[in-house]
Amino acid sequence: MHHKTRHATILTVAIAAAAIALGFAPQRAAAQDTYKVCSDIPWPPFEMGTDGQAAFGFDVDVMRALAAVEGYNVKIQNLSFDSIIPAVRAGKCDIGASGFTITAKRDEAIDFTKPYYVSNQAVVTRSDGSTNVIAAMAGRGPKGTVGAQRGTTGASWVKENLVKKGVNVKLELYETYPLAILDLVNGRIDAVIQDAPASKSSVASYPKKLTVAGVINTYEYFGFVVPDGDPAGVGAKMSDGLGKLGLNVVDTAAGKELSVQPGTPWAKLSSAYFGPDSDTITAAWKSCKGTLLNAGSMDDVESYASCMAKATGK
Amino acid sequence: MGPDGAGLILSQFPEFLGATLVNLRVFAALIPIGFAVGIGVALAQVYGHPVVAAIASAWEWFFRGVPALVLLFLFFYGLGRFGLDVSAFMAGALAMGFRSSGYQSQIFRGAIQAVPAGQVTAARSMGMSRVQAVFTVVLPQALRLAIPSWSNEFSSVLKDTTLVYAIGINEVMRYARTVYVSHAELAMITFLAVALIFWVLTTLGNAGLHVLERRLAVPGFEVRGAGGARADR
Repeated sequence: MHHKTRHATILTVAIAAAAIALGFAPQRAAAQDTYKVCSDIPWPPFEMGTDGQAAFGFDVDVMRALAAVEGYNVKIQNLSFDSIIPAVRAGKCDIGASGFTITAKRDEAIDFTKPYYVSNQAVVTRSDGSTNVIAAMAGRGPKGTVGAQRGTTGASWVKENLVKKGVNVKLELYETYPLAILDLVNGRIDAVIQDAPASKSSVASYPKKLTVAGVINTYEYFGFVVPDGDPAGVGAKMSDGLGKLGLNVVDTAAGKELSVQPGTPWAKLSSAYFGPDSDTITAAWKSCKGTLLNAGSMDDVESYASCMAKATGK
Repeated sequence: MGPDGAGLILSQFPEFLGATLVNLRVFAALIPIGFAVGIGVALAQVYGHPVVAAIASAWEWFFRGVPALVLLFLFFYGLGRFGLDVSAFMAGALAMGFRSSGYQSQIFRGAIQAVPAGQVTAARSMGMSRVQAVFTVVLPQALRLAIPSWSNEFSSVLKDTTLVYAIGINEVMRYARTVYVSHAELAMITFLAVALIFWVLTTLGNAGLHVLERRLAVPGFEVRGAGGARADR
């Protein structure tokens, strides 16, 4: 990315020089940097839609909003979750934005921005009374098995806190959490452990069959991913931009606390994305997206966030 | 998954077909690579100098022995370490094409060896060079004989194009995912829609290859010991 930019700059200067020499005025003095953002779409409400311009969701919108307020461009690329960190390391993506939980292990391989979201793990079970949350987590449900998406913190929580501590429960890993939910509905597993915001849409898909039976307070923080050492400096720009959008991180004795100023774009986007169902969010995106896709300033971002909040009825 | 589900899948069908075009593009890129390299490897194994034959066999051994997903990751992430910035499409076409060349080489080797060696001797005695004999006498017959087994490889790699989602190519399985993640209750019907698309594609492709096989068959001509075109009875 970095050397490419440099080549692009040299080329731009050469073309500009040639244009001036030929008597044309250059269109633009310097082109804005474009960063490739990789997200695993869909993962509602963080990642929705399909790819490129048709992608949206909380992460994706924040990516575009940060680009607008910090003065760069982004291109959204759909890539499977497991592949994103290797792709950032290999220089195939400049930014990973896909609900990444900040962990010390991941931090060794890549860098994180400031945290932007706190998430806990929900335990989803069937609501038919065949098992309860205690029995399911203890491996005493009908199948003695719980499910999670491979590579997620939900999966490692079960491994660290149940399997390794001698609880006789089997952990079944899935490529995506909807497949785990499908197996739960079909009775092949007793519970699914997944991020609390995502569990809401799982239950919304099967309102009569599933319920969130419990929440494990893991206080996980989500962060955006950039290459180790942040060579392009885009991680620092994003952390700075998060503050401009209205999100502040306060260090307290208990840990990091995220404080959101009311009325800011951050507050409006959060209310638009966390709560309403997917269809409402999708309809809102369709009516508001023009402002964000062409956003070049804080004003544009503000009017987009207001539009989303209004369209989702918040 | 009632009539609503079927209606939703039907309404999404143009997008499904659009995503299938991505699979077909990957397929169109990988098949010629596999075909050309596969024939080269087969010729090297049958007629090559022992050193060349050994290199060809090592190539075949490697690309037949490594899982497709591993090859995709090696080409997409690995080549970057050597300063080669390949696009996901290029990495996918090369990885899957080279893999297919390993399989295709063995189809062609069998077919080349099914053409009686005496024909090369006969061609040489008529004043043809060895290269001429191989390219004008042996290969046309061998390619004809190879069609039935090649149709297997055709069907196989066509379906294997669904693996390239792993390096960020948004093909039809990846698109199916966008549907069933938002509508979990539609997972099964989504998979069935993808199955139907590939069933139609392989059926059409194999029918085409069958027509080609019959068009190219030489009436009354028989090659002993070959699995392919038999003219008897």
